[in-house]
Amino acid sequence: MFFTLLISGLVIGSIYGLIALGYSMIYKSSGLLSFMQGDIMTLGAFLGITFYSYAGLPFPVALLLVVLISIALGFAIEKGVIRPLLNKNTMAIYIVLATIAVSYIVQNGSMLVWGTITLNFPSIFGISTIKVGNISFQPEALMCIVVGFFCMFLLQIFMNKTRIGTSMRAASMDAMAAESCGIDVSLSTGLSWGLSAGLAAIAGMLIGPIYGVYTTLGATIGRKGFSSAVIGGYGNMYGAIVGGILLGLVETFGTSYVSSTYRNLIAYVLLLIFLLLKPTGIFNEKAIRS
Amino acid sequence: MLEANGVTIKFGGLVAVNHVNLKIRDKQITGLIGPNGAGKTTFFNCISGVYTPSEGTVIFDGRHIEGLRPYQICQAGISRTYQVINLFWKMTALENVLVGMHPRMKGGFLTDMFKTPAVRREEKEAKEKAYEWLKFVGLEKYANDPASSLPYGGQRLLEIVRGLASNCKILLLDEPAAGMNSGEKEEFDRLLQKILDMGVTILMIEHDMKLVMHICQYIYVLEYGKLLAEGVPEEVQNNPEVIRAYLGGED
Repeated sequence: MFFTLLISGLVIGSIYGLIALGYSMIYKSSGLLSFMQGDIMTLGAFLGITFYSYAGLPFPVALLLVVLISIALGFAIEKGVIRPLLNKNTMAIYIVLATIAVSYIVQNGSMLVWGTITLNFPSIFGISTIKVGNISFQPEALMCIVVGFFCMFLLQIFMNKTRIGTSMRAASMDAMAAESCGIDVSLSTGLSWGLSAGLAAIAGMLIGPIYGVYTTLGATIGRKGFSSAVIGGYGNMYGAIVGGILLGLVETFGTSYVSSTYRNLIAYVLLLIFLLLKPTGIFNEKAIRS
Repeated sequence: MLEANGVTIKFGGLVAVNHVNLKIRDKQITGLIGPNGAGKTTFFNCISGVYTPSEGTVIFDGRHIEGLRPYQICQAGISRTYQVINLFWKMTALENVLVGMHPRMKGGFLTDMFKTPAVRREEKEAKEKAYEWLKFVGLEKYANDPASSLPYGGQRLLEIVRGLASNCKILLLDEPAAGMNSGEKEEFDRLLQKILDMGVTILMIEHDMKLVMHICQYIYVLEYGKLLAEGVPEEVQNNPEVIRAYLGGED
């Protein structure tokens, strides 16, 4: 029982972590809040089904395609919607509202294309369960945890060890200084939005086979990902991961030992506790301007 | 090398810089002085691409650069520092210099991720080079400390060396000696000489007249956005208009 719960906690936790990473990246790069993460995740899952199941592409190829399309989409949204608003000196709250608008367009658009019923993401490994001792679990669950963690690890390397990552970090710390160091801040901000969308799409491809794919899949998970980012320390990369895993575990164990009716209650009470008592999150990210 | 012709910058009805002609001579330090609010920093912002001039042209190495974005101007070979120090505070001193070296690095998205031997070598060389730059201004002992933990004078030097690391041809310094004590200023004077010896041209806004008169070969004086005077230090020092602007009018 414990291990089964641990696995499902880690599965949903790593999904929350991936979504939270996207929130944090966008916040870091633009100082903005984007509410599109969840619905881009749904879109990723739908695209995944299309490429993998309908077009018959191998899963890794489908995953790569979905990620590339989503990165392009995120980049386009930044350039086509966010940047023009920023150039008009719009207040931040209007940009947040614009991201909500985009998220509903993505959500309803997917409904138009893929319909309202829950689609089954066909099994990826051809076997339905793995048995270790007396614990059994879906191989897709294991993949979700492994790939989820791998992506987070890869992103850390990308941001900290590569030149593009370093220039993206520089651009997010101080746009003006980065520009005068020869960094195209507009390009780097677009890339951040693109990568965030890419992360969300990966999350969709990973959770799809476990939860099934439906138009509101990302709505709840998106909000929980947001909570994870806050719990970890909004804008902090490590915080996003730790916050996601923590929320996933607390939620899963909580619902199992208390009641599954209160799944969301647990998650959002935890969010409120953090907002009230420790708004800087576990990693003490300065969310409040001094 | 760098020529501003009739540069005017307006904010709404306010004319911050008014038909300024200025020429920076190759491998010299040119000073830009003037009372507070004379438009010096605004003029800097125009050369470095933060503002686009409302009128006039800026020509660098025979190429029009007015209206280019700041990163493009940096890539063209003009680096700058800010009046209020503008470092990447959470990065180490070494990382700050590495970011400064950005324009000279060959990009490569996938090669970066997969660390080909060539990339590894280039990165290693870049780090060594960045360390050399820190040594150049005597900050090597802070290499792995966050920029925010450096002493004030060190932060100024770090910003300068981050600009130099792009291998710029022109360095724009906005009040680099502000907040330095007299010992630090003397050392800074020597550093400027070393930078000149490397073949870098400098345009400097500075309020410390002793420093300006000592090191600048040519000086421009701005007042109310207009060019008030120009010349070698002796000329400027003895110009009655300049004395009036600084000491207040006789009438």
